[in-house]
Amino acid sequence: MKTPILKPLAVALIAVLAAPAFAAAASQLPAPEKIVLKNGLTVYYLKNSDLPVVSFRMFVRGAGTAFVPAGEEGVAGLTAALMTKGTAKMDADAIAEALDFMGASLSISAADEYAQVSGDSLAQHFPRLMEIAAGCLTGPSFKDEEFAKERARQVDSLKSLKDNPGAAVRSYFRKAYFDGHPLGRVAADSSLGKITAQTVRGFYARHFRPDRAIAAVVGDIERDKLVALLEATLGPWANPAGAAPSDAIPPLPRPKGKTLVLIDKPDATQAYFVLGAPGYAMGDKVTPQATVMNTLWGGRFTSWLNTELRIKRGLTYGASSNFLTWAPGGIFQASSYTKNDKLAEMLDIAFGLLAKGGREGFGAEEVESGRNYIQGQFPPTLETNASKAGAYVRLAFYRLGFDYYDKYLTAIGKVTAAEAKAAAAALLPQNDYVLVVVGKAADIRPQLAKYGTWQEKKITDPGF
Amino acid sequence: MRKRIALALLVLAACAASLPAAFRKEDVKVHQLANGLRVLLVEDHNIPNIALYTFFRVGSRNERPGLTGVSHFCEHMMFNGTAKVGPGEFDRRMEFRGGSNNAYTADDMTVYTDWFPAAALEAMIEMEADRMQGLAFVPDVLESERGVVASERRMSVENNNDGILNENVRATAIMAHPYHWDVIGWMSDILGWRRDEIMAYYRTYYAPNNAILVVVGDFEPAKALDLIKKYYEPIKASTPPPPVTTVEPPQMGPKSVLVRKEAQAPSYMAVWHAPNAKDADFLPLSILAKPLLDGESSRLYRRLVREEQLAIHIGGGVQESIDPFLFSIYVKPRPGADLDKIDRVIEEELAKVKAEGITPREFEKAMNGVRSNFYMGLQTISGKANQIGSYELLYGDFGKLFTIMDDYAAVKIERVKEVAAKVFTENNKTVGKLVPEGGAK
Repeated sequence: MKTPILKPLAVALIAVLAAPAFAAAASQLPAPEKIVLKNGLTVYYLKNSDLPVVSFRMFVRGAGTAFVPAGEEGVAGLTAALMTKGTAKMDADAIAEALDFMGASLSISAADEYAQVSGDSLAQHFPRLMEIAAGCLTGPSFKDEEFAKERARQVDSLKSLKDNPGAAVRSYFRKAYFDGHPLGRVAADSSLGKITAQTVRGFYARHFRPDRAIAAVVGDIERDKLVALLEATLGPWANPAGAAPSDAIPPLPRPKGKTLVLIDKPDATQAYFVLGAPGYAMGDKVTPQATVMNTLWGGRFTSWLNTELRIKRGLTYGASSNFLTWAPGGIFQASSYTKNDKLAEMLDIAFGLLAKGGREGFGAEEVESGRNYIQGQFPPTLETNASKAGAYVRLAFYRLGFDYYDKYLTAIGKVTAAEAKAAAAALLPQNDYVLVVVGKAADIRPQLAKYGTWQEKKITDPGF
Repeated sequence: MRKRIALALLVLAACAASLPAAFRKEDVKVHQLANGLRVLLVEDHNIPNIALYTFFRVGSRNERPGLTGVSHFCEHMMFNGTAKVGPGEFDRRMEFRGGSNNAYTADDMTVYTDWFPAAALEAMIEMEADRMQGLAFVPDVLESERGVVASERRMSVENNNDGILNENVRATAIMAHPYHWDVIGWMSDILGWRRDEIMAYYRTYYAPNNAILVVVGDFEPAKALDLIKKYYEPIKASTPPPPVTTVEPPQMGPKSVLVRKEAQAPSYMAVWHAPNAKDADFLPLSILAKPLLDGESSRLYRRLVREEQLAIHIGGGVQESIDPFLFSIYVKPRPGADLDKIDRVIEEELAKVKAEGITPREFEKAMNGVRSNFYMGLQTISGKANQIGSYELLYGDFGKLFTIMDDYAAVKIERVKEVAAKVFTENNKTVGKLVPEGGAK
């Protein structure tokens, strides 16, 4: 393959955040109809009968990994996974069989700020899918036996992840950057081991409630049928007594100086790095300028970073950068990998480009190319029922408005070279950053001394 | 990359369906230029973009020892300059016009995937036609790209335990046919291909008579066809490439391969020689794969992950291929799991299928899965382009896409049992295990 496929997370964030616009003619996202159920749950709806399929999406604010108490890292993901493993009416096998029989999919997972429910099916099966989804959402049974199985499976999954340095480096980075902050509550085999079924039941009871949920349905289903279906399935979901727990996340840490972490994986033939620094919050007014800047610096195939590391020197198969954004703030991160003995060469080039961005900025034609690229690549990000439903809940969650993408794309079209340079000066790190490397320490340790003092771990040490 | 295409094809294989009114065979406009280029056009104004996919009938199946991986390398070099468009210019020009691209190489095909705003159509057709005939292979650029592909191999094989095991199992199971090696190729070949060999390979396989052009999206077919004629008609047809004639001999006894490597978790994989996509046994085998391996209700997921708790996840199936390939079962064992026990459980479940087949409910479940995947895959212009082109290349007729649902439904349920009995024999099996050794525990 010519280019690595972006990780799903990155794709989702780009689709949403970096949501772009094009020629500002037609609206990027049709305005949905707002349906409010009797229990107060808001569901955004758009009919699309092109194909006989329907997609459902829901965010539950506060049920994500950032709301897990320290020491219980992993409980949000475990709770989400266990919600589809048994309800009052159906056990785990019955749920799996019903979904697979329809060729439908249903998943509940924990993001940082929310839990996400995703369901997709043929139109004829959608009523049954919603019955099952509502059962999982409103009355999961959390049986001890299922808890034990799922926890053991997740512990082993985390161990297995460490055999893949490209994936593991992301978890090590998250932990190093956000150490002590709620966004660094990365599940580890050690923390999962301390969680009990009772911890999971408690997390569910506190965080899953309709007044914290936003949903969307897009596809081949009539409005009246949908309203009746939603009232019958999600309508009985009642808010628990008492106020919901806080859904606030403290301000993000801002690294001072360099934090350098090296993870030794003695059999690795390549070294993988992630470098991160402060970025900006979801919906921040700098988004258009920062997105154009990042596109040119490390966000596309011909970006500076990929040009220098891959196209000109053949050091790597992939090099890229992006911004991750949450409600209270965000980060910039750049990453790549190369043969162990080439790591310092690669890092020096990356540092040089970080300095060059704010110092020299970008040419007018380059910025025009970046604007065109962002706008031209936007429409496919909202092409499917699922992507439209996801956009509705995301925009509602962050209170950005359903015309956000139109405004965003219009703003992209106006970003100037001076603004892109200013964004580079403000957001590309020079001296304050967190840098994490996974590779064969014996080969790369001597190259790294010149960057400062490294904290060293073994890949076999528990946790990240 | 290999992994991705394998998955995409499995979905395709599985993906029959009676077609939506919104997409019919008549919606595909077919043209053939005098030089042999097959052109398939589908108008779709859902978004103001176009997906332009070029399929070449060349993949690692067409390679030979010493030149393994060269199909994939040609894919990389296609972005590195022609006589008219300098190295890197293809991407720079495309991105300036709001477009992006990727490409993938598989055992049987190499596919170039362009996504761009409608206004860029002529520029893209011009550049695609240009690189079908005039790649420059600038020596410095070629050497740099060699490093990129070596890094890709290190990432996807050497630093990926499942990738290493997959390569070992394939090479053990398949003895004579070029499917013996993985699409990425052996490292010594990657480091050793000569420029003249690569160029000869490119000239043999990159020609209009060996390609299919699929355009789906926001355009007027008559205008698009005029543009295609303008830029592609001047390209001359080439001598048809030589056929792949090696036939894999029947396997005459069980095979196994053991890989020892530092790892937190072991890996397990088993394969059986399986029929090609056009064989009458292919659909029954493809149907079987669903209740056996797909989803948490599948027979092997229940046994290995839920009941015996030997595995973290499982997967596999049969790949649509030009020549006979493999039916695969992948298992990600839990650290410390008994791999022989995993093997025994798989054999027990296969024995049941050979003796009793699958149930009518499982058959219906497979059909629902196929229909669901099919419609989900048609939601995007890129999904349509990929399906139409893949069918045209594999079956010689994109129209197969519009009947395959019926073909699936027409399979007699007893055939699943018959085919299972034929494929899942001891002598037809190769087992691979990767066992942790050294530092990690």
